Amino acid sequence: MLSSAKHKINHSAFSVSSLSYPLPQSHSQADNMTQVTMEEVWKEINLASLQHRQLNINHEPMLSNQNPNNSIFKDFLNKPLNQEPPPSASTTLHRSLPPPPETVLSLNPRSINTHFDESARFGCFGKKRGGQDSDESRGDRRHKRMIKNRESAARSRARKQAYTNELELAVSHLQKENARLKRQEEQLKMAEATQHQAKRKLQRSWTAPF
Amino acid sequence: MSLSPRDPLVVGRVVGDVVDPFTRLISLKVTYGQRQVSNGTDLRSSQVLNKPTVEIGGDDLRNFYTLVMVDPDVPSPSNPYLRGYLHWLVTDIPATTGTAFGNELVCYENPCPTSGIHRVALILFRQLGRQTVYAPQWRQRFNTREFAENYNLGLPVAAVYFDCQRENGCGGRRTS
Repeated sequence: MLSSAKHKINHSAFSVSSLSYPLPQSHSQADNMTQVTMEEVWKEINLASLQHRQLNINHEPMLSNQNPNNSIFKDFLNKPLNQEPPPSASTTLHRSLPPPPETVLSLNPRSINTHFDESARFGCFGKKRGGQDSDESRGDRRHKRMIKNRESAARSRARKQAYTNELELAVSHLQKENARLKRQEEQLKMAEATQHQAKRKLQRSWTAPF
Repeated sequence: MSLSPRDPLVVGRVVGDVVDPFTRLISLKVTYGQRQVSNGTDLRSSQVLNKPTVEIGGDDLRNFYTLVMVDPDVPSPSNPYLRGYLHWLVTDIPATTGTAFGNELVCYENPCPTSGIHRVALILFRQLGRQTVYAPQWRQRFNTREFAENYNLGLPVAAVYFDCQRENGCGGRRTS
């Protein structure tokens, strides 16, 4: 599996950097790979691999190219759209993907528009892309969408669970209070009953010494 | 008695996103109109137009408390890059009383989320003394933890949160 990927790299027309490395498989097949493996691989992938994937159309295109120093593009985007989540946030999800490759954008002017719109996230996933990088962009968008959906689903579950827990606590509290009040009522009733019985007998306690 | 992992404040990630884990020490009762707010209560913008009635517990009138009302899910829960919008800040609330007896440093601004379902948390802190807390310069990017540290408020003594969405909201689902 890994060797075949290498094989494809060597046959490419693009000049490759000295690194040759396995391409990540499509996301659905990633079950075989551990999370650690994938992240290691992503760290090594650079721009060259992004161009390579155009040859491997069979593989579902994936996000690559995580550059920890997002400074260049981030500054560019900072004012109008300071919206990219930090990489640490997304890596908390299992098999989650890092944010879109920003170094790609600084080096590959063509995809700036693609990712710019993606980063905008204003509900428009820009499905009409003019044909260029459409396969990769579609995959990228799909992945981003999937992550967002996962997060949203997780929030929804948390919301539901929090509400349920609150209700359970309230029920428990109310049941205890109810029991307590009932006991109190019983005690008061009994106390009143005995007092009432005592009162029935008219007694002269002060006037008559006998 | 610290918070259990099943506590709604923990499950709803208010503990985590807004404040650190704490122990409930004071009772906090928040009421919008006729409706008392419990954790995770679902409210619409129209129901939170006016400031709620807030009553706090405690026993010594010489202790003063600060109430912070903050929305951590701005501008949208899926992308909260402006995390922390301060809706209301009331300080110098004497124990056993309520916000009506406090000092409204930042006036109540009704939550009006445009996208998604926002959590809105009301956090109560105990002050070291009277008039020791000051208003921040902006409502936006309000960091509750930092605020508490700046004014020596320590950990919260009470908190409650509700979910707020648009009037014609569809439960956080995007319509487009």
